[in-house]
Order: sequence, then C-alpha cells, then structure tokens
Amino acid sequence: MYLARIDGTLTSTHKHPTLAGTRLLVARRLEADGSAVGEPVVVVDRLGARHGSTVVVSTDGDYLRRRLGDTTPARLAVVGLVDAVGSGDRP
Amino acid sequence: MRLGIVRGHVVLNKAVPELAGTRLLLVDPLTAPNLAAANGLGGGTPLVVADHLAPDVGQTIAFVEGREAANPYWPGRAPVDAYCSLLVDRVDFKPPAQDAPLPGGQVRT
Repeated sequence: MYLARIDGTLTSTHKHPTLAGTRLLVARRLEADGSAVGEPVVVVDRLGARHGSTVVVSTDGDYLRRRLGDTTPARLAVVGLVDAVGSGDRP
Repeated sequence: MRLGIVRGHVVLNKAVPELAGTRLLLVDPLTAPNLAAANGLGGGTPLVVADHLAPDVGQTIAFVEGREAANPYWPGRAPVDAYCSLLVDRVDFKPPAQDAPLPGGQVRT
C-alpha cells in the first residue's frame, strides 16, 4: 500500500464489463515529503475520494476481484482516505 | 492501471498456444507531464498489452499490469501480464502547481 494524491478523474465508455459503474480516478504516488513520483495511475474508488485527497492505495487485486468479479482486469484501489500522517506516537 | 497511447499492433508469426487469437497492442505509457500537457506524447517505456477492446492507433487507454492482467481469461490461463482494461474518453488531470506536505505534516524526512 502507498500514499497517493487524487489529481484527476477519468471517463470511459468502452471498458471491461466488470468495470461498469465504477468510479475511476487518476492518482499520483507520494513520497514522505508529499512530492508526487512516478507515472499517473488509474484507481478504483469506492470511498468517495475527492480531487486533492490524500488516500491509501492498495495493489492487492483480490479486493477488487471479490467485488467486481473474477475476471476483472483491475488492481489498484483506494482503501482509505487519509486524515493525517504523523511521526509521533500513535494518534 | 497506468495510462498509455496505442502506437500500433503486434502481429505474431508463431506463439505459445495460450496466446493464440490474442490481439496485442504496442503501448506508450503516459508520464505525468505529458498527461498534463495533453500533447499526444507518451514518454514511458513501450510495452505489449493484450486487448479485447480494439482501440485505434493514437487512442489513450488504461492497462492493468501483473497477475490481474490474466483475470479476463479466467478460468482459462494466459501468459499475459498487461491487459487493456478500458478506452479513455476523457481525463481531467489537474495536479497542483506545487506539491504540498502530507496532511498532518509531521513526518521527518
């Protein structure tokens, strides 16, 4: 899992049938200082992340496979919306 | 999934049996600056992507990589590690002008 920032949205008419009705967002992975790294990725969001949100993205395809079906060609999912990231003791 | 631009189709002369009949695209992955500029350039390292959606050359797609790329062949199997999941109609990509610290802002780096 990693931290990512939601930088955009995506619309698609022609897609794998298991992706019908999913909310697709464009995200960038974040470094610990908040800077974005790597190529933009398309993530499936079921939590209502917004533009600019910091989220936790999981690369565990099983999460989406259980929800969208065994044949789904999707892997990255928003699994949490981040409130704060701290380095002190537990919040 | 990453985003990429279709640059062509790959035609095989001979293939392993599990790949028979699979359409293959040559895809140029999109970097963040090129996606933001919408300049028609990809900028990544090209890769071969299995496909059932038949995008035209020049079309922007999203492709999944890894084990999940073979999910559409389930319960069959295919030696495929990249698969075209969708054709992009529109991307609204607006990164902030400047990166901000993480929320909470207390991480020592």
